[in-house]
Amino acid sequence: MGFRRFVNIVEVVAGVAVLVFVIALFANEPGGGSGSTAKSGPGYDVYLSNCARCHGQEGQGGIGPRLAGEVTTAFPDAKDEIALVRTGRDGMPSFAGDLSPTEIEDVVAYTRAELNK
Amino acid sequence: MTASTAEPVARAPVPVKLLGIVLAGAAVSVALGVYGKVHDPTGEKPYTLFFSDTINLKVWFASAAVFLAAVQVLLALRLYDKVHVPRTSPPWLGDAHRLTGVVAFGLTLPVAYQCLWALGFQSTDTRVLVHSLLGCFFFGVFTIKVLAVRTHGWPSWLLPILGGTVFTTLVLIWLTSSVWFWREFGFPSF
Repeated sequence: MGFRRFVNIVEVVAGVAVLVFVIALFANEPGGGSGSTAKSGPGYDVYLSNCARCHGQEGQGGIGPRLAGEVTTAFPDAKDEIALVRTGRDGMPSFAGDLSPTEIEDVVAYTRAELNK
Repeated sequence: MTASTAEPVARAPVPVKLLGIVLAGAAVSVALGVYGKVHDPTGEKPYTLFFSDTINLKVWFASAAVFLAAVQVLLALRLYDKVHVPRTSPPWLGDAHRLTGVVAFGLTLPVAYQCLWALGFQSTDTRVLVHSLLGCFFFGVFTIKVLAVRTHGWPSWLLPILGGTVFTTLVLIWLTSSVWFWREFGFPSF
């Protein structure tokens, strides 16, 4: 009897957790204005669509390493960064099939210019 | 007298009920997929608890969920008399089956939240696409399983099929995430 009651309580807690899960998905929506800078351009669009989910919208890092302020140190030559985006490495996928050579060059230029400020 | 002449309560036929819960589960899967695709992924790590990194938390939580789900399957096998250990089924077996399932599910929530909120629905390569699809499918089929458990009149094969599908999906999600992580980066510390 006591164990069943305990299980019932755990089920209620799980139900509440599901509610919190759903609310947090929408309440925590990013882009509310704080900290995000207005940017535009082809490299920015490519970055947001393909890179931001791992490297962060401002290049601050996340699942992937930080880019802001560090990418030119890690890749003094832009060609090396372009090659990495093309081929992928470790956990980073290859984008050769998803992005055109121009898009890759645009996004690399964006990370080196805008994110490095 | 009145009891014997009372009309039976009208129940929806099984196919209609089944269609209803399948539609509910499909709605959950589609909703998660749409959210993951439409939402701008933040790439952030919202929590680490006592782990050194969010990714470590996710790997360990997912692994713990798979372990508990495996225990739940074993308990279900005993409940259905498919195994005979222990020889006498203890009265708390059903509650233990529920508890392991609920805790396993609870462990998947913070993992799924970070996946959806920070990473979104991705299709950058086959593994990632399969993982994204299975993640959405898991919560849909879990919804179907919970609704089926809460209603009655099902054929005896339905719950085992649903439970097996939930478990298989969870294992496949784990293989395309945690196990992949072990292979790529090594076994994670806490």
